[in-house]
Parts: sequence; structure tokens; C-alpha cells
Amino acid sequence: MLNYTLRRLLFAIPTLLVISFIIFVILDLAPGDPTGQLPLTIPAEVRAQIRESLGVGEPIHIAYFKWLRGFFVYEPLYWLDQMGLTIGDPADRARIISYATRGPVFDLILERIPQTLWVVGLSYVFGILIALPIGVISAYKQYSWFDQLGTFISMVGFSVPTFFTGLLMIVIFSVQLGWFPSVYDTTLEVNSWESFIKQVKQMVMPVAVLALYNASQISRFMRASMLDNLTQDYVRTARAKGMSEKVVVLTHVLRNSLIPVVTVIALGVPTIFSGAIITEQIFRVNGLGQLLIIGIQGSDFPLVQTLTFIFAILIVLFNLIADVIYGILDPRIRYD
Amino acid sequence: MRKLKTLIMATAAASTFATAALAERGSDGNLNIAYWQAVSILNPYLSGGTKDIEASSLILDPLANYRPDGSMEPALATEIPTIENGGVSEDLKSITWKLRDDVVWSDGTPFTAADVVFSANYCLHPEGGCNAASNFADVESVEAVDDHTVKINFSVAKPFPYGPFVGATAPVIQEAQFKDCMGAKAPECTDANFGPIGTGPFVVDEFRANDVVTYKANENYRDPAQPAFATVVLKGGGDSASTTRSVLETGEFDYAWNVQVEPEVLAQMQAAGNGEIIAAFGTSVERLMVNLTNPDPALGDKRSTVEGGPHPFLSDKAVRQALSMAIDRDILVEVGYGPNGQVTCNVLPAPEIYASTANDACKTQDIEGANKLLDEAGWMPGPDGIREKDGVRLSILYQTSTNSVRQGTQALVKQMWQEIGVETELRNIDAGVFFGGDQSSPDTFQKFFADIEMYTNNFDGTDPEAYMGNWVCSEIPSPANQWIGNNMPRFCSEEYDALSKEMGKTASIEKRAELAKKMNDMLMQEYVMIPLIHRGRVSAKSNALGNVTLNPWDSELAFAEEWTRVE
Amino acid sequence: MTKHDQVLVKAQNVKVHFPIHKGIFRRQVGSVKAVDGLSFEIRKGETLGLVGESGCGKSTAGRAMLRLYELTEGQLDFEGVDIAKLNPKELRSVRPRMQMIFQDPQACLNPRMTVGSIIAEPLDEHTNLSTAEKREKVKGLLDAVGMNRDYVNRYPHEFSGGQRQRIGIARALALDPDFIVCDEPIAALDVSIQAQVVNLLQDIQERMGLTYLFISHDLSMVRHIADRVAVMYLGKIVELAEKRDLYKTPKHPYTQALLSAVPVPDPEIEAKREHIVLKGDVPSPANPPKGCNFCTRCPIAIERCRTEEPELRELKKGQFVACHLAE
Repeated sequence: MLNYTLRRLLFAIPTLLVISFIIFVILDLAPGDPTGQLPLTIPAEVRAQIRESLGVGEPIHIAYFKWLRGFFVYEPLYWLDQMGLTIGDPADRARIISYATRGPVFDLILERIPQTLWVVGLSYVFGILIALPIGVISAYKQYSWFDQLGTFISMVGFSVPTFFTGLLMIVIFSVQLGWFPSVYDTTLEVNSWESFIKQVKQMVMPVAVLALYNASQISRFMRASMLDNLTQDYVRTARAKGMSEKVVVLTHVLRNSLIPVVTVIALGVPTIFSGAIITEQIFRVNGLGQLLIIGIQGSDFPLVQTLTFIFAILIVLFNLIADVIYGILDPRIRYD
Repeated sequence: MRKLKTLIMATAAASTFATAALAERGSDGNLNIAYWQAVSILNPYLSGGTKDIEASSLILDPLANYRPDGSMEPALATEIPTIENGGVSEDLKSITWKLRDDVVWSDGTPFTAADVVFSANYCLHPEGGCNAASNFADVESVEAVDDHTVKINFSVAKPFPYGPFVGATAPVIQEAQFKDCMGAKAPECTDANFGPIGTGPFVVDEFRANDVVTYKANENYRDPAQPAFATVVLKGGGDSASTTRSVLETGEFDYAWNVQVEPEVLAQMQAAGNGEIIAAFGTSVERLMVNLTNPDPALGDKRSTVEGGPHPFLSDKAVRQALSMAIDRDILVEVGYGPNGQVTCNVLPAPEIYASTANDACKTQDIEGANKLLDEAGWMPGPDGIREKDGVRLSILYQTSTNSVRQGTQALVKQMWQEIGVETELRNIDAGVFFGGDQSSPDTFQKFFADIEMYTNNFDGTDPEAYMGNWVCSEIPSPANQWIGNNMPRFCSEEYDALSKEMGKTASIEKRAELAKKMNDMLMQEYVMIPLIHRGRVSAKSNALGNVTLNPWDSELAFAEEWTRVE
Repeated sequence: MTKHDQVLVKAQNVKVHFPIHKGIFRRQVGSVKAVDGLSFEIRKGETLGLVGESGCGKSTAGRAMLRLYELTEGQLDFEGVDIAKLNPKELRSVRPRMQMIFQDPQACLNPRMTVGSIIAEPLDEHTNLSTAEKREKVKGLLDAVGMNRDYVNRYPHEFSGGQRQRIGIARALALDPDFIVCDEPIAALDVSIQAQVVNLLQDIQERMGLTYLFISHDLSMVRHIADRVAVMYLGKIVELAEKRDLYKTPKHPYTQALLSAVPVPDPEIEAKREHIVLKGDVPSPANPPKGCNFCTRCPIAIERCRTEEPELRELKKGQFVACHLAE
């Protein structure tokens, strides 16, 4: 397993390099101008000067090389500096700079991670916690009223877009009832009971919207996987052995059914980091998804390039993790 | 120590600011502002859009600001330099600003003329990519005469020398903080760009790029009674509807910037009663351009040029006037613009001193008058109801860019013209093509291969000289100048050109206003342009926020130090 | 044959019907009569073979014998106790005494459990053995089925089909049952392995005094292992007899057809033999024909067969046939 993991990691390096280059070329070909959001009264020659100062229009191989060097050399060195391990000259750290903020892209990203993890990550956790029991019960009591209700709710959660459920929640809970804030305060520091309550309140709606969406997906997987396993002979064997239903369902069926579900869950983890663009936008959570959208809208190529590449790394990584987990959970699979 | 200093300053300032000193600094708690575009940077010279400039206007001050009525008010200067007070030289080639000597930066160090000189050099640096470069156009040098006097020299005569350091786009930054950030190094100074030290009413507390800015009151602000708010949160993101909702419906925010919500949705939000919509009108006017030359395709290369000859029927002033009279501008506003628009009869509708009242008759639709005018001019309805004379039918090709509001307006205008016996064919062209300068495309607004075209134009700042210069003879687009030029109607009048030239030599505001009005009236009364809608800036404000006037000439937040909490 | 006198399992008119739901509201529109009135006895120590085409309901019957399916109707006595009426708790206390060996040795073993834990699991549930005793017992069982006792920590997928079936057998034996339903235990195995497994089953039966219900579609294998044989067709038993009687003098036309299809290992005889070829398909158990279930394909069917359902009657001692025409 270790060999396999190492081999996969090694193979991931050329894959990721190719991905980064493809992203770079696509962004280079994409129309867009970082000065596009400036007021129309700013004349063309001033815009040209601004573009030049940003380094827009450099030959693609030079721009790509600079970016690569920034990502793989200067950024790691910079973080080592921060940890007190200085290699080379700390003044010479050409970090990747965003067009729009003129600040290092990585600082922007780090600033976004807490709210993204809190809101999107927590909604994923809640989604899973809700989905698993629903999936298990739905499958065990297939076609019961509980199953029908679960099916209905997951259809709703799956098919109704989050911008609609989000807006509906704002209208009901913020406008009508005034229970929860419609705008997420990213600067809130949790250091007292009161601020904790505030944090919980502002998280309720975005987390609920996303959790519903996640839960409806995962509960379907769970249900399908349970149904697959419930009809297997080994379940009958377990019953024939005289095991109680609890043992049959929880030990035999659930544990086997979880294998594909865990894989699906692991593969879904990168989507937490890429944020929930729409939901973040609605509740103004301003996490990584919103950062990406702003970058795209403002043609902030260094930001978009870096973010998409980080997502690519996460996707490759979690694919590997999913495979490894699969191997651990399912003794039939051996990678060596 | 600081308290003592504040106290002394307060006593000193009390006499000069007797009226303003009603409230106490920081007594009104927190102010919540929502921008649907998030702020990316707080250095306005490197900003990517209006939102950044406005967010930094809470921190940085220019020498003078524009008031909502378009007049200038000194901020860091003691007065506005003019020829009368000797601040502007007779040859119009230099301007001398006297700076206040009681201003300190938010870090407590004194503000001097050196900072102003530095700011100019910062923006003028060729590698800096400064986006306010056009404010500093023609600036030859900036010198500190003494610690509190700055002289700006221009390479040409500048009758309106208020580009540098007037308005939020070109404020003064601190030399001490930015001295290592010149030119190519500008983007490297992240700390300075994210937290400039200023002389404005607020200082940055925390800045999360593309998300939120929190400010607190500047303890060293020059007016001891201001700002009334102790802290400000400027939250970015979402969309216009959601930020507006957070003011009008949920009441979580006090102010929402740039409302772009359909009129009926807005009315619904307003019904909640938490706040109101405020609008301010700058210089944007949606207008019809009338082609005075012949766009007949048969003319080939001479199509829509002066050489091609006059337009078969639009060269008749009576027809042009009738077209204007037949339009009900109220309906156009109501259907397409709501609070974002108002009826106008001028292409130069603002600032107030420039706005003519001579053409206000157009505000009411007059079908009867228009019909009468056409009858008298000999344009008689043919068998199909379309007027004609000497075999020329009043049949118009009316083009504009693709945009749902514009197409709605087109349809309404077509109906109105039908009532006076004018036939209209509508056409819309993708905005990228229409406004793009592609020489090979026949569909650009400069080529104007149509009878009437519609779009919006405006000008930056409050000075209309360059804008009114758009309609001199030499600005007529033609193949000879690669169709570059702003005189779409191909209007040419010696008298107008003379007025324009005179304005370039006149420094007195009153006289300039007179000239501009005259030029505007000339264009209006010749009906070479038919103004339709004065388009405005709209924001939403909570009922609990007082002393807010939307400012179309400067940052919306330029006078946020005057805002107060009302119960 | 005195050892076969005591009745262990007695089925009386056992029916297992599966409801069919259709439409938006999933109303019951009918039922699949998988098992439709079985009555037979299994005596202690004997092997009753249950044969029939696939889909005739023999597997359902086998599972019903252990009440792995709820009976729709009927009585099922195990040592005189009607297990069809037991509540789940009582049923679980009876479970150790009746076990099952499944057709697919791969599917019936939980893929995520080691061989040791698969075999030991019922011991946890039903006995109070210590861990060490359990381990010994598991090893003993592996010995009993001819497997290496070191295999306890391996997973099922690491074994071949025949080995897995041995594990399945060991598992079934763990609680010292009296009665084992063998549901086509060799159908999924290679021919070379089949004989080994059948011999193992016979071996164990002798050693432990087990009673088997041996379900198979392979008539020659049943002939080898069974004492008595029941033939099923469309949810019903059509003929039940001592092995010798059934193979020598089959009375039911269906049995005759089945036996005629079994090849004889002598090409000359085989060439001369008369094959009875049945026409048509097996009718749907959801909608069985009126009268005799077999009448649609019976070569000798008469009018009576299409209206009147034949009773299972004892034609001669120990040979029961459900045919109007059998003599």
C-alpha cells in the first residue's frame, strides 16, 4: 500500500504539471482585461500603462515559468521564512501577486480558508451525518412512508438550486422572522459565549442550505448501496446464523455499504475547498468560491491560475486518498 | 497626551466649525455599508474599479472634494485656488494650493507639501501603472513652495486646472509610508496598499481583500467633532438585489451602494419601510443622435459623410424637432429606468450651473404640435399614413446596442413616431461591435450607417469643456480620420466652434457656464441630438442614517464623516 | 432404515407468495406464488433431495424451511414446534439448530470479515465460550472441513470457490446444527471440486448425524447423495419418492421428462434412448394455469388436467405423485 501510494504520488507530479500548463494556456487564451472594471472615463493609454505594470502580455512561456517558480520555489521558501527557516535571501521572494489586490495570492487564500471550512466544511459534515441514517433507514424500509419522504426531500434538495433555497431562507428567516442575519460577518472573532451564539446564528442558514444539498446526494448513494447489499447472500447467512437484526444491518450490511459511500465522500472533499460559489455569494460568506468568482470577473489571472491549480492538486490528492481508503476498507482490493 | 492635543485642537477648531460641532466624535457607534463589488485594494492609484476608490476615500483625502451639487470644497487646502484669489496664474499654466497647517496624518506626523509633491510623483511614475494618470495629464512639475504651499505647473494652458488632487480618484498619500513603493515596486508594498495612512475621517482596522474592510474613527481627524461614527464595516460581495435587501428589508445595513434592481422589485423592497432609495444625477444622458448626412448605401464610400451630401429628410429641422416633440420621455423613464432615470432636455444636464432651462418644453409630449409642424413644412401623410414630400418618405432606421432596456425604449419610441406619421425600422447591434472601434465593421456607432442611433455618453468630473468640444467640425468621423471622432450627428457650425474655442481660454466658472449653456442650447435647438433620459446613480440608505446626500461627482463616501445616526 | 423413522421437519401446506406492487401508489395487484402448498416430511438423519428447473421455487422452499422468508400460509414443525409461529426472539434461539449452505460461496461470505470471524460470529451470539475456546472451535471446524487451520485470518476472496464452500460449510456447522439446508451447494463449483464437496457433506453427515435438505437441479448428484427425492414444478411438489423408486419408475410425466434428459454415460445406449422434450415455457408463477400446473406442457394431458388440480397421492408405499393419470 505504501509503495502504491508513493508510486501514485510520483505519477501525480507530471499530471499536475500538465494540468497547470493547460490552465495557464486556457487563461491566456481567454478574453479579459484586468483593467476592464476601471471607469470608462480612464483613457486607453493609461490602461495600457497599467497592464504593462501588471506584466500582462508577457510571452506565455515566460509568464508560465515565472508563475511556476513563484508557486514551487518562492512560496515554499516564504513560508519557511515565516517558520524561521531561512534559505537564501528572504528579500528575494517574488511571490505570486494578484492583479486586483496587488497582494500575494497565498495570503488571500489563507484568509479565506477559515470561513470556507467552517461553513462549507461543516455543511458537508452535517450533510453526511444526516444522510447516513436516512439512507440506511430508507433502504431497510424500502417503499415505506419514511423512504418515500426521504426520496421526496432528497429530490427537492438535489433539484432545487441553492440560490433558490438560500433566497427562500433569507426571505423567511431574515426578512420575515428576523432570526438570522442574511450577511455573514467574516471578521467575527469567537471569544465569548455571546460571539459564539452570533457565529452559530450566522452559520445556520448557509450551512442548512448546503447540508440539505449534500445530504440529498449522499443519502441516495447510501440508500442504493444498502439496497445492493441487503439482498446479498451473506446477509441471509447472517440471518441464518441467528444474528439479531441490529447486528445484521449495522455490522454486516452497513459496513459493506459504506465502502462506496466513503469513496464518494472522500472524492467530494475537494469541493469543500473550492467552496460553494453560489451559496457563498448569497450569504456573502466570502470564502474561496467567492474569491475565485471575483478573480474570474476581474480577470485576475494569477489568482485564478493559483486557485484552480490548488483545486487540481486537491482533486488528484483526494482521488488517491479515496483509492487508499477503499483499499483499507475493502480487503478484496490490494494494490501491490 | 493625545487627549490633551485633541482637546486643544477641539478648542481651536470650535470657532471655525461651530455649526458642525453638534455631535461628538464616535458617538454614533457602528456604520454598516454594503458594496456588491468587494473591495480589492485601498490604494486608489492602483485600484481596479470605483469600489476601491470609494473605500479608500474614507481614509485618504484630496486637496478638495466635489460636493453633491458639483461645487468644490477644500479638504486639505484652505481654499479653492482661482484666478481671482491668485491661486491660478493668468496664463492658466499653473495652480498654487495653500494647505491647511493643522492637519496631521493618522499616525500623528504632520501633513506637509512634501506629501503632495510625493503623491504626484508617485502617480506620474511611468512604471507605476497609476490609474489616475489622466488626472495628472499635462502636469509638468509639482513643487513645494513652502511646507504648506504647493504649485502645480502645466505644460499647456489649463482653464480647468482641478484635475490633480481634486476628488477621490487623486488623493494625497503619505510620503513616509510610500517612499519605497515607487514605480515597479508599487505592487510589492502590500501593507501600505492594504492600509494606507491617511488624513481622512477613518483609519483601517482590518482589511480582508475582496471581502470586507473595517474602519475606526481617525483620532487625529482635522475636525474634532467628526466622524460621528466610531467604526465602519464595509462589506463586499453578493449582488445588487441582496445588498439592497439588507438595507431596505432586513435592516442589517445602513447603506447599499449602486442599486441596480428592477423598478417593481425595488418598490416591493421599499414597502418594508426600513429605508429609502436615494438617487443623484451626474452627466450621463441617454440620447438620440440624428444623422445629418446621407447614410444611403448607394453612396458607397461617401455613405454617412459630409461629402455624401445632406440627409434626405433629417436635414430638415422641422422633422428633427417633430421627432423630439413626439416623444413621451416620462413613459420611457417609468418603463425602463425607475429611480435610475429622469426626463431631460439637455445633453449637458449637470452640474447645476451648466444646466440650461431653455429647452424644457420637450418634457411634455406634443403630438399635435409635431403634426402641425410637419404639416406646415409640407410633409403630408401618404396613402399608408406615412408622411412624404417630393417622393421622400419619413422612414427611419433606428439603431442601438443590444440591451433589453434599450430595445424597450426603441419599441416605445417607434410607437410614438407612428402617431406623427413616421415609419421606423429598429435595429440592435452587439455592444462589443457597436462601441468597438473595428474599422472593418459597418456597424460601429462612429460610422453611423443609419438615420438615428441611441446610446449614453457622459464626462468625468464637473468640467464640460472636453465634452462640449465633441461637436465641433473637426470631430466629425470620416474615412479620412479612420472614423475616429465624437461628432456623430456630423454637426458643423462656425458659431459653435468659436464658442468652444473661447471656452478653452476662459477661466471664470460663471463665464464658462454661460458658454457651455449656450453650446448646449445651440445643439438642442438645432435638434441634432435628442436627449431622452438623464441617468443617475442610485443607492439605498436606512432610515436610521442621517445627513446623507448621494454624490454623483465624487466618491459616494466622500462626506461620510458628516453622516449621523438618527432614531 | 430405522434411523430414518423419526420426523425432524414437517411441512404442511407451506405457501410463500411474494406480492406484486404496481402503479403510483404501489397497490398490490397480485402475487408470485413461488411456493404454493408444499407438504412433506424430512426424517432425522436422512437427506431429502429437492429437484426442479430453475425458477420452480426450490430455493424459496429451502429458505422457507429455515424461515428466512415469512410463510404466507402453512405450518412448519421442527421437532414438533411450529417455527412459522415463533416470534423473532424465540426464532433466534432455534436458529443454531438449523443452518444453510448457499449456492454462491463468494456472495454468502461477508467480504469484509476474516474467515475466523465469519465462523466465530454465531458463537458470539449463541454461546458463552471464551475467546480461546472459540478460537479452538473455529480451528476444529476448519479441520473438519479439510482446511488449513492457519487460514483464520484470511479474507474470503483469497480462496478458491471450493475452499470458500468449505468455509461456508464450516460456518454452518459452527453451532452444531441438526438440520442443514444445502441450497445448490455445488452449482457454482468446478466439476472436479463438486465431488469433493459432496463427499465432504456426506462425510460430515455421517459423523455428526445431520439431516439435509439438498436442493439441486442436478439429478445425478441428487441420486448420489439423497435418500428420498422430491420433484418440484411451479411451486408444487409433483412427485416424492424413495430414490430408487423415483429413478427406476418415475410416475409423473414431468419426472419422466426430467430423467430422460439426464445423459447416460454410454454412447450406444444414449443414442438409442428416447428423450421426452417438453414444449413451451414454464408458466409465470404469478399467473399459474388452472387445474394441473403442468398441463400446459404435459405430453399426456387430458381435459380433466386443465380443470381439476391433482392431489399428491400415495401411489405405492412411499411414492407420492400429483397426477390424475399416474398409476
